[in-house]
Amino acid sequence: MRAAAPGSTCAALWQQVFTGDEAVAVAERAALGTTARVAVWPPENLGMACATVDDVLAALDQQASRFREDSELSWLHRAGSGIFMLSDGLAEAIGVALAAARWTGGRTDPTVGDALISLGYDRDFAAIDQQRDEPPAAPGPAPGWQLVQLDGPLLRLPPGVRLDLGATAKGMGSDRAVHAVMSATGQEGGVLVSLGGDIAVAGTPPRSGWPVTVAEGPDHPGPPDPQLFRLPGGAVATSSVTCRRWRRGGGMLHHIVDPGTGRPADGPWRTVSVAAVTCADANAAATAAIVAGHQAVPWLTGEGLPARLVGQGGEVCYLGGWPPVSGLPVPVPSGGHVYAGARPPGGVR
Amino acid sequence: MDTGRGQTEGRVPLRELGDAGPPGRTRGRRDSFRKARRMSNWTAAALVVGTGAGAAALAHQSFTATAPVAGTAVQAGGTATSAGSTGASSQAASGPQATHSVATTTASGVTTTTTTRTVNGKTVVSQVRQAPAQRND
Repeated sequence: MRAAAPGSTCAALWQQVFTGDEAVAVAERAALGTTARVAVWPPENLGMACATVDDVLAALDQQASRFREDSELSWLHRAGSGIFMLSDGLAEAIGVALAAARWTGGRTDPTVGDALISLGYDRDFAAIDQQRDEPPAAPGPAPGWQLVQLDGPLLRLPPGVRLDLGATAKGMGSDRAVHAVMSATGQEGGVLVSLGGDIAVAGTPPRSGWPVTVAEGPDHPGPPDPQLFRLPGGAVATSSVTCRRWRRGGGMLHHIVDPGTGRPADGPWRTVSVAAVTCADANAAATAAIVAGHQAVPWLTGEGLPARLVGQGGEVCYLGGWPPVSGLPVPVPSGGHVYAGARPPGGVR
Repeated sequence: MDTGRGQTEGRVPLRELGDAGPPGRTRGRRDSFRKARRMSNWTAAALVVGTGAGAAALAHQSFTATAPVAGTAVQAGGTATSAGSTGASSQAASGPQATHSVATTTASGVTTTTTTRTVNGKTVVSQVRQAPAQRND
């Protein structure tokens, strides 16, 4: 059952979703090449929340989209190398991406832009010709995040480096959005924002936490079954090689690139979900775990992050207190990583 | 450093309290100084209080903005225990009851559509997941 969400500025974009609970209002819209979803209580705040998330998404897209010709990031790429004065929002986004690269030991790396382009992911995913016969250009390792220097709003971009902020941007966007919503609603109630499955929450959660499902992509309807869990605070994000796949030269490619090879990651885990105190942390950790392959379990364990890993054959591994059965809360550790090395989230537009 | 009070060439020394002024005007001047000093003390006190309050407000604002870094610590048992990103997590018990999933964490790019229908008097919630067909907007 769907109806237009309340709120004059967002009714055309948002579709209200009735989940079965009257106390929580939910709406969703297409955004950033995927789905954005807002859940909020009290329900009267839905219109304000949707309008606020619209502002955050518009700003993020304008700053960091690799596919929009008029984005600030595209402008940087057209300008080539040099020293640039960035907007606060893009400076934060690049700072978070660099901090994530440092934290994950380079398993996420914003300099994989050229590798993704050479693999064929050179436009919004929905616009990619997914069945081309010619093989992809031979990619090479990413130039390396250490080459990119950011000092406040000043960015030094070396020649031949194209940035892709996919490992952190949606998570950061969810972090921005929940803080902006809580600010807009006067810290009343609570809010959950999901950008393509990267979920952040703020404020007071429903009793026992926000009910959230973790699930595989549509191409893997078999085991494991979707799992319902509770998210009392912080964030959760999922990275997977089961979606955003396309065919080149008879082989399947996907969007999670190993910076060390420039090729799609080819490890034992097909889907990784991670809970963390911020969504940027969870987003980066989930992607890093896919890239880390056999090192994912020791790395996640060492970081103390609750995680649910699904192997290529459907087997599931639970780490860090992630409950193996449905209905229980996921523990969210204290202490974040990526914002400590970058500007803090604060609804920077 | 020259601190001699007699060497005032080119400068006008500030008169200290107790310095003799012209006869007949000393008491009034001293009263004025005392009054000025009292006002100055009050002004200084107000500045100190105001500065402190401003600093506290800024610190609170900064804490609110950076709270996700410090974080919401949640024990395995499940209740938010600390510094929620909005400072409201300590009121977790006051949140509403929500039993149905409100969102799905899944592969990026998957669109999850939730639909609800009534079958034999029971509410059935179903979720359909598919890759998005729309372009960025």
